[in-house]
Amino acid sequence: MLAFIIRRIVWTIPVLLLVILMTFLMMKLIKGNPFQVTERPVPASIQRNLDRKFHLDKPWWVQYLYYVRDTARLDLGPSLVQRNQDVNDVIKEHFPTSIKLGLMAMIFAIVVGIPLGVFAALKHNTALDYTAMGIANLGFALPSFLVATLLIYFFALRLKDYTGLPTNGWEGPSSWVLPTIALGIYPMTYFARLVRGTVLETLQQDYIRTAKAKGLRWRLVVGKHVLRNSLIPAVTAAGPVLGGLITGSFIVETIFGIPGIGKYYVTAVTGRDYSVVMGITVLLSVIIIVANLVVDILYGYLDPRIRDERT
Amino acid sequence: MRKTKRWAWWAGAAALIAIAVAGSALGATGAKSQVLTMSIGAEPPSLDPGLATDTTSSNILLNIMEPLVKLGPAPELKAVPAAASSWTVKGKIVNLKLNPAVKWTNGQPVTSADYVWSWLRTISPELGADYAYQFYGIAGAEAYNGCDPGKANCNALKNKVGVKAVGKYGLQITLTSPQPWFIQQLSHHSFLPTNKAAVTKYGNKWTEPQNIVTDGPFKLSAWKHDASMTLTKNTKWRNASSVKLDRINLQIITDASTALNAFKAGNIAIDTTGFNPSDIPALKKTPEWKVYKALGTYYYGFNVKNISDVNQRRAMSFAIDRKAITKYITQAGQVPARGFTPPGIAGGPVILKNAFNPPTHQTAKAKAFMQQVKNPKKDIHLYINNSPGHINIATAVQAFWKELGLNVSIKVQEWKQYLEFLGPPPNSDVDVYRLGWIYDYPDAQNGLVLWTCGSGNNNTNWCNKKYDALIAKANNTPNANARYLIYQQAESLLSGPKGDMPLMPIYWYTYTALVSQKVKGFSINPMDQWDYSTISVS
Amino acid sequence: MSEPDLATTDPPRSSPRGLDRPFMQRRAEFEEALARNAGARGAEAGASLPRASLWGDAFHRFMKNKASVVAAIAFLLLLAFVIFVPWLSNEDPYAIDFSQAYQSPSWAHPFGTDGFGRDLLIRTALGGRVSFAIGFAATFAIMVVGIVYGATAGFVGGHVDNALMRFLDALYGLPYLPFAIMTLAVFGTVNFWTMVVALTIASWFTTARVMRGQIFTLKQNDYVRAAYAVGAKGPRVLYRHLLVNTLGVIIVFVFLELPGVILGEAFLSFLGLGINPPKASWGTLAQDGYTAYATHPYIIVIPSICIAWLILSAFFIADGLRDALDPRTKET
Repeated sequence: MLAFIIRRIVWTIPVLLLVILMTFLMMKLIKGNPFQVTERPVPASIQRNLDRKFHLDKPWWVQYLYYVRDTARLDLGPSLVQRNQDVNDVIKEHFPTSIKLGLMAMIFAIVVGIPLGVFAALKHNTALDYTAMGIANLGFALPSFLVATLLIYFFALRLKDYTGLPTNGWEGPSSWVLPTIALGIYPMTYFARLVRGTVLETLQQDYIRTAKAKGLRWRLVVGKHVLRNSLIPAVTAAGPVLGGLITGSFIVETIFGIPGIGKYYVTAVTGRDYSVVMGITVLLSVIIIVANLVVDILYGYLDPRIRDERT
Repeated sequence: MRKTKRWAWWAGAAALIAIAVAGSALGATGAKSQVLTMSIGAEPPSLDPGLATDTTSSNILLNIMEPLVKLGPAPELKAVPAAASSWTVKGKIVNLKLNPAVKWTNGQPVTSADYVWSWLRTISPELGADYAYQFYGIAGAEAYNGCDPGKANCNALKNKVGVKAVGKYGLQITLTSPQPWFIQQLSHHSFLPTNKAAVTKYGNKWTEPQNIVTDGPFKLSAWKHDASMTLTKNTKWRNASSVKLDRINLQIITDASTALNAFKAGNIAIDTTGFNPSDIPALKKTPEWKVYKALGTYYYGFNVKNISDVNQRRAMSFAIDRKAITKYITQAGQVPARGFTPPGIAGGPVILKNAFNPPTHQTAKAKAFMQQVKNPKKDIHLYINNSPGHINIATAVQAFWKELGLNVSIKVQEWKQYLEFLGPPPNSDVDVYRLGWIYDYPDAQNGLVLWTCGSGNNNTNWCNKKYDALIAKANNTPNANARYLIYQQAESLLSGPKGDMPLMPIYWYTYTALVSQKVKGFSINPMDQWDYSTISVS
Repeated sequence: MSEPDLATTDPPRSSPRGLDRPFMQRRAEFEEALARNAGARGAEAGASLPRASLWGDAFHRFMKNKASVVAAIAFLLLLAFVIFVPWLSNEDPYAIDFSQAYQSPSWAHPFGTDGFGRDLLIRTALGGRVSFAIGFAATFAIMVVGIVYGATAGFVGGHVDNALMRFLDALYGLPYLPFAIMTLAVFGTVNFWTMVVALTIASWFTTARVMRGQIFTLKQNDYVRAAYAVGAKGPRVLYRHLLVNTLGVIIVFVFLELPGVILGEAFLSFLGLGINPPKASWGTLAQDGYTAYATHPYIIVIPSICIAWLILSAFFIADGLRDALDPRTKET
């Protein structure tokens, strides 16, 4: 097990370097001057001085090496557009917000989705099952910008006096509610369908039938055997889902005006703020890679068959 | 186990509801002092006067700092003493006397040495300031700004810049030529002083609230990047007794719908984020809707190399319905533009005397113009950048030009790519492009100088020596009325019946805002500046 | 953006836990579990009966599945809508008439009009054409790229496989939406082809991964060894025996990727990176509608419903196809 973990961790380094290289090359391919913010072109002398200041006059591989070296020292460089901020500051300010939002959305997804899926599976082929899955499928199919818009329209505008929920911002618990739901609906449907599927499969297994035949109380059977076995995939999926939520919350952040990292990232790409783009890409890749690594390790521990096979 | 699951589900739902209720209770705190909450449309990229380039930063800077002069009421926008108590202008030499009562928040007085140091820092090649060009009217500034520190010793050039401290509170500026608008230009935020001690000590981070040193009616007390900023009253300001607001909460809301929702819910008292055109018809009927005239022009430029016949350009200008565009698409009270220079500028009506772009579409006249074109260009590539407003206007223009038999394809590009594409010189595929111009200072010269042959903002390939000569002549004409007549001739070359029409102005900008009736004294002047020291909240 | 990727969950259920998640990496041990089942299935499909029977069987099973039939009909209805409505209509979808702006749905304009007075029924149908075209093109490209990449990795195996898969890991680290945005930024302009390329580049990973898994496990079957034994060369084995047996998986994936791609295009358009006007896609229509949702909600709701309709029908078709093609799945 240990050897496996070490091998996986060692592999992340070249993977990360590759990610940095690819993002770097993409940014170099994109035309556009990070220093020109208005229609006025930057005077040639100023352009030259700025390029020199930010190493942009060197060949691309030299810039890449500069960047890798600085990243290893955890110095992601200054922002090219926000001249008084460093990328580290930007991340420190915005990233916790995205983490918070992602975590809350995930808790919502789990707390609502898993019971929904279990319920639907246990009451398979009844009206409850169909309703539950109907809701799940609707949440899965409707684009998130529509869901967010409808949530604001109904709960923050029309029913404002009953709910007291704000339409935007990220100050105080009341402003967390709608964005969490908007972001959390999609993974909620994911968990619901996933858990429903695995519970159904588990219910088919022989050992469940055996337990039933032996006369064990149904609740015990469900709780002990069914749930434990069918929740494993949900648990292991939680990691990457969280990774996906943190890195993919851009639209919800824009509509609700939440100062998270997703919104900042897209702004940086359109503004050609190379260092911010590189910095955030590295960060997001690390998150996804770590999330997958944790999941793989967790999975090894949780599934005794897989674990035992390896020894 | 099923029970446990169900219990967990209900607990979760109950928890969410509890959070919502608690949150709304928390949010309902009252305030006894005068607090203004408003939305701004973007995060200020920088609060360093040397590096700030946009109006959001500009407005905040002009309220936490005190400029040398302020602009009086429209339309003259005459310079009013602020940090400078008086001045004299003799040809190229400008002498300013600073008001000794202006002090930094650390107690030190603001001296002319501060100004000299700040300005030289802004135009230094090391800083790489975008707005250094504002100083190019000062002798030696452009040369110093263009110096390459790697190749030459720039200190020699630095010493030749025409800015000198005369005593503790005297500032002498030597210009490259007489510039009648220079004093008004000093109201721009680029000319604000920066505190040397703070900049030296904190470097890049000197604009953070805990480090920044300012000298104006308000202080920057908090800044949550990309979320909000808080300004509090500077009780030590020389005129603090006249300032009524105790605190200003600026919420950074970039999305128009989000801002409107916040305004409707009462969370903000002023909405300056901007509006979706579809919301405007309903908002127009409310007393909170405010429209302010602006000094700026939205225009389409022609690539005169591609559309070489002036009659085709005239035809294209006459074929569009500017009134319909401002009424149905932009809907914010913009004025159809018959010339480039906005009428609200000093001397505007005189300057625009011969401008003849029609407000409504004149299809017959347009077709008549087209008849005179020998080899009309039928396939038009219209380049715009990807904002919904521009796309809508372009869609309308496309339909209007179709009536002339022109086949227009709209090419949408991302902003940065677009700027590169336009050059100058513009990419050869560009036939028509759109841009807007917001005036830096309230003088027609600021807009007319764009169309000279060597201007970095002339993306039309149009070069007319006569025009350049007129602009140069106007620069050397201190008498205002005489200057307006020269501008009139220049404007005629742009938009008169005998002119070359290298560009087609569409409308003159306005600034719009939703202002709650609880707010008194708020207004936006034509230079997009607002002054918090005159506002009160009931 | 995580959303489109999540749409591609639930692939061939031959995996013991139905676990092939887009951002979960499979380890070799886990893929062996897949191999055991896929091998059995492949053996069944390749070794026993002639191919026609598998497809005939599958078709019948599909037809028995009520949900899938309804979904297929819904999908075809949507397709018919986008193909025939503009063809049968006489109105000019690009005519601008401000006096007709923002009309709510009525008999004359069943979907209402937009801010320029253009009829939204036709524009939605035309937008559907563009969305479908982009969707099918991008899905096709994703399949091609994914199959080539995955099959190469799975077939060649060894170091090449390792390298290719690790490179794929690296690509998984790039978030979907910004990656697509950057690709579009490289092109500088958004038209049909650049959008297809951007969506393909951001979405082909899962297909490659699954294909690699499939080929890898299938090639360990006895009939493959047998083919080699009788002298068949590599490409022939790959084509005739391996890829053919993955056809079922491929078809299921087409219906899983299609909604993801269309949703991706909708998100990009919503962010302002849609195709050039006056052409529209469902995404650009939704973006138009977003600015007016408080006063004229139908403008954003209608294209969103079309997208949702497509996603749901494609998903259930994929579900049905998967059940139909996998003979071991029991009907519960």
